[in-house]
Amino acid sequence: MTTAQPPLYWDPFEAELAKDPYPLYARMREEAPLYRNDRHDFYAVSRYTDVQRGLADWQTFSSARGDILEIIQTGMEMPSGTLIFEDPPVHDIHRRLLARVFTPRRIAQLEPRIRAFCERVLEPVTGADRFDLVEAVGAEMPMRVIGMLLGIPEADQATFRDRTDATLETGDGGRIAQEDILNTEGFQDYIEWRKKHPSDDLMTELMTAEFEDENGNRRTLTDGEVLTYCTVVAGAGNETTGRLIGWFGAVMARYPEARRELVADPSLIPNAIEEILRFEPTGPFTARYVTRDVELHGRTVPAGSAMLFIQAAANRDPDRFDDPDRFDIHRVSQHMSFGVGAHYCLGAALARLEGKVAAEEILRRFPDWEVDWDGAELAQTSTVRGWKTLPLVIRGA
Amino acid sequence: MGDRWKVTVDPRVCVRTGLCAASAPTEFKLDEQGQGRATSETLPASEEVLEVAESCPIEAISIVDADTEEVVFPPE
Repeated sequence: MTTAQPPLYWDPFEAELAKDPYPLYARMREEAPLYRNDRHDFYAVSRYTDVQRGLADWQTFSSARGDILEIIQTGMEMPSGTLIFEDPPVHDIHRRLLARVFTPRRIAQLEPRIRAFCERVLEPVTGADRFDLVEAVGAEMPMRVIGMLLGIPEADQATFRDRTDATLETGDGGRIAQEDILNTEGFQDYIEWRKKHPSDDLMTELMTAEFEDENGNRRTLTDGEVLTYCTVVAGAGNETTGRLIGWFGAVMARYPEARRELVADPSLIPNAIEEILRFEPTGPFTARYVTRDVELHGRTVPAGSAMLFIQAAANRDPDRFDDPDRFDIHRVSQHMSFGVGAHYCLGAALARLEGKVAAEEILRRFPDWEVDWDGAELAQTSTVRGWKTLPLVIRGA
Repeated sequence: MGDRWKVTVDPRVCVRTGLCAASAPTEFKLDEQGQGRATSETLPASEEVLEVAESCPIEAISIVDADTEEVVFPPE
């Protein structure tokens, strides 16, 4: 007699499943390459080729209603300037205004300032035999970097970060409240103030950049659009990068051999960050709205459906990656964690740089650690997967 | 420096953001796979083309001078 597997069921809102979703993702790739969830009314694809093709096909899989399942399902109106909730050509027009600031080369110039932030947040825990990596670095460093880019005074940066984190935190089975997702309260005052005190920050650049809009008019962004841009950039740049740093701490504790290699040869760190992004993506899946009937694996997904693209599953597709569940800092791969197509993560270069700098500075101070797994806790959100607390126990301290 | 550039998009790196074709539709187009490529063998040298190459989030675009083969982008 063979042991029957339980029926395949994936609930993206369930906390228990988020602990180790990979065995289930493997079954989905194998048994249900087009997965249907009746209870939450969505479809999902998990194979690399399906995720890659689908995310690049914005005409069929639209972002105009959001990229989060529960937001798409509310059918809420999206304001102009959200970028992540827009389709080309409007999306491309809006993205170009920011793309200039986030080019790999311009971001690379920020390295000394980012390193200084990192050194500063590590200073209080240097010499400690135990500390929470998320609290000390993950929650602090990306906030300082984004705050610097946007020109938000340091004293107020934590307020903005906490507001986004609270919006995304959903609890087991919970949903994001639609009225919170683009809560722009707070930035309004800065925009007023920045207008009178222009600086070399992103907010000033956004307020003054001239562009040709979708109707062919040359103009600058409205206050409302600048506000939405800043909210989106701050929201996207804080939590995701913070979780990446958390995953660095967790994965390095699980694979001490890799960690020792990085200590011995820090030039391997950038590729190790890519492998961490592949192995434990902070944004495991992305939702799209289906604009027309589409055939997938012999079934028709009707127009009007919500589709989830599971990048975390695609990243471990054995048809694309050899021995995909093996963590290998030497692997050369093109993972799906920053997406593909028009919405490829605008902040990818910044996230990579922050991840690299954090890894270098942490390894330099703490070459050896374990995680107190009983004290560690995964954050519960329906959009981001990562550690809420990750107590490191330093060895040789 | 010459006034024509040879512009190539590395298909192994390109993740089909479509930003090049959206920013400079005269100089760039997308192939059937959605990957960017230059619209002709060589393009007139311009700030705009350089900005497109610089703005590619994965730096998949490289530029060399068509006459001298000198690398224009990425530098180094």
